[in-house]
Amino acid sequence: MLIGELSTSEVQARLSGAGLGFEFGVARARVRSDVARLAESIRTVYSAYPLTEAEGFFDVTARLARPPGLRKHFRPQISFWLDGEQPFEPFPAETHLPLMEWGLNWAIANRFNRHLLLHAGVVERDGRAVLLPALPGSGKSTLTAALANRGFRLLSDEFGVVRLADAALLPLVRPTALKNESIEVMRRFAPGAVLGPSFPKTRKGTVAHLAPRSESVAKLAVPARPALILFPNFTRDAELALEPIPKSRAFLKLSTNSFNYELLGPEAFDAVTKLVSSCECYRLRFGDLEEAVAKIGALLASSA
Amino acid sequence: MTAGRLGRLPRADPVGALLALLRAPETARTFDEADWDAVVRVARPARLLAALRLRLERHGVFADVPERVRMHLDAERTLVRFRKQMVLWELECIARALSEFPAPLVLLKGAAYVVQGFGFAEGRLPSDVDLMVPRASLDAAERALLGAGWQTEALDPYDERYYREWSHELPPMRYPEHPLELDLHHTILPLTGRIQPKADALFADAVPIAGTRFHVLCPADQVVHAATQLFQDSDCAGRLRDLVDFDALIGELGATERFRERLVERARLHGAERPLAYALRYAGRFLGTPDALGLDSRVRGNDDARVRGNDGAERSRAMLPPIPRVARFMMDRLVPRALLPTHPDRRTPLAVRTARFALFLRSHWLRMPPALLARHAITKGWRALRAEAPSEVE
Repeated sequence: MLIGELSTSEVQARLSGAGLGFEFGVARARVRSDVARLAESIRTVYSAYPLTEAEGFFDVTARLARPPGLRKHFRPQISFWLDGEQPFEPFPAETHLPLMEWGLNWAIANRFNRHLLLHAGVVERDGRAVLLPALPGSGKSTLTAALANRGFRLLSDEFGVVRLADAALLPLVRPTALKNESIEVMRRFAPGAVLGPSFPKTRKGTVAHLAPRSESVAKLAVPARPALILFPNFTRDAELALEPIPKSRAFLKLSTNSFNYELLGPEAFDAVTKLVSSCECYRLRFGDLEEAVAKIGALLASSA
Repeated sequence: MTAGRLGRLPRADPVGALLALLRAPETARTFDEADWDAVVRVARPARLLAALRLRLERHGVFADVPERVRMHLDAERTLVRFRKQMVLWELECIARALSEFPAPLVLLKGAAYVVQGFGFAEGRLPSDVDLMVPRASLDAAERALLGAGWQTEALDPYDERYYREWSHELPPMRYPEHPLELDLHHTILPLTGRIQPKADALFADAVPIAGTRFHVLCPADQVVHAATQLFQDSDCAGRLRDLVDFDALIGELGATERFRERLVERARLHGAERPLAYALRYAGRFLGTPDALGLDSRVRGNDDARVRGNDGAERSRAMLPPIPRVARFMMDRLVPRALLPTHPDRRTPLAVRTARFALFLRSHWLRMPPALLARHAITKGWRALRAEAPSEVE
């Protein structure tokens, strides 16, 4: 059974009871909440996810709740709780789903130190993965989402999860948080894609969450071999430009774009070394999504 | 997963289950994934995952832990190793900055455990580096460190004065970009407190660490320090990990008769017999701290006049004085509630909040004489009010 097959009130019942379980691949989370309207958003964005019983071991158990007291009526807020602690300040009450997504990402980034966590999108086709590391604003999320809607399997949008032993990429399939213009761009690019509600005025502007496709969610347990590393750079109206970069440079860019490279030390060094030596590395400047997707497809096919 | 056993001990009482695991790691064999879920959710905010992992490993039951749970325990060990590395790096930088410094540099707590190569350092997360120098050299040490690039945050005049005149340490320093703070101490308890450890003796008997610029306190002083940190200079709130440190330290420093004598002697010298008695009492109660030293039974024996009566001369030479009945009665009610972790999904019970408040008052009472305490309370209270006001109106 899938989360999308539940009614909103059934989702709500689970959220206010033992919790709603989410299977993301390498991570499992359980969420409890009594925040109105969150159930509806979850049902839209997580419709393709298997319904997971809230019993057993979960990597993250989170609770979203309205703080008690006067704040209930005056500029209401919601807090994010992890095991009885509040790791960050409450959000305005209307931004419930962004808070849940941000909070779960925060917990994952802090807890998954057995793997190397790169700040990167990962997609795969025919068992060969494309790693798209980038800084915010580079168009990484949009490009990852575009590929995932043109026949690539999504492994992750935010965290490139690298298994230390063999540098395989592990799935951590989460909704893609699209920001500002990207939301409209993606609506036009993939009219059939499911987008959650838009949340204006978050810290990052307007945010809407793109639901992962069921093909990606169906393969949560299947890792992928890295084949291509592309550092995307979105430049409005720019010509498509693909420029090979030396592996040494790719190494530096990857290692400085990681959540826990320093923490893992030599193991991370080895994993990044394995990654760059098994991949072709490029910088990709693009202005048009369709063109970029076609180019990446061709590149992956020719590098086989 | 095995048949649903709702209400089994670990899930119904995750705090009790965590204590059972710390005491007797073999208990892990009976845990299923849901049990682990409950325990990890208590151990993580208590910062005890690494200690738990270490104990499971030492008792050969780590392999019995489900893979998903092991991932979290491994991740925590990775973090510990990184922080230990950062401690060593910070020490190297400090040694360089103070290479010309004539006075002894004595490491306390986490950094001391690391340089002594204590096995249990693998099970605790150091958050800063604590360095002690003689009070006469304190200003010079501070100047040398500031000159070498360490920085302090600007404090308001009251806090500045509090640290400089009444505290046992200076405001924390940090070298830009370094992850760990450096606390520069000149003794181990506040100058204004009821207990005044003999700083001269702390330095005189400090032990050099071969191949380094550093010393550590003599073993017995380390145990006394761990005990006073928790039971003299803190409100105990959620500080089970400090008791776990104490337990591990006792385990590490061995169980010789001579050490036992020495510990009692040093506690007496520093006037810290009571906090040591408390630490032994509650470490024994919650963690089953090994009784091999005979200290625990001695404390209990001291509580009970009859046992004391039929004892030999050797025993009367080195004894901790008994905890007075009233104090014992109060602490037995307050300490378990305040110190142990609370259930992550429940509102902190009133009894726990009351106990924490009572021990908070106690720690302040022990830290400063009444007049200074009154002044401190007014200053801090007034500041809290001022800080709160704007956010309410905002």
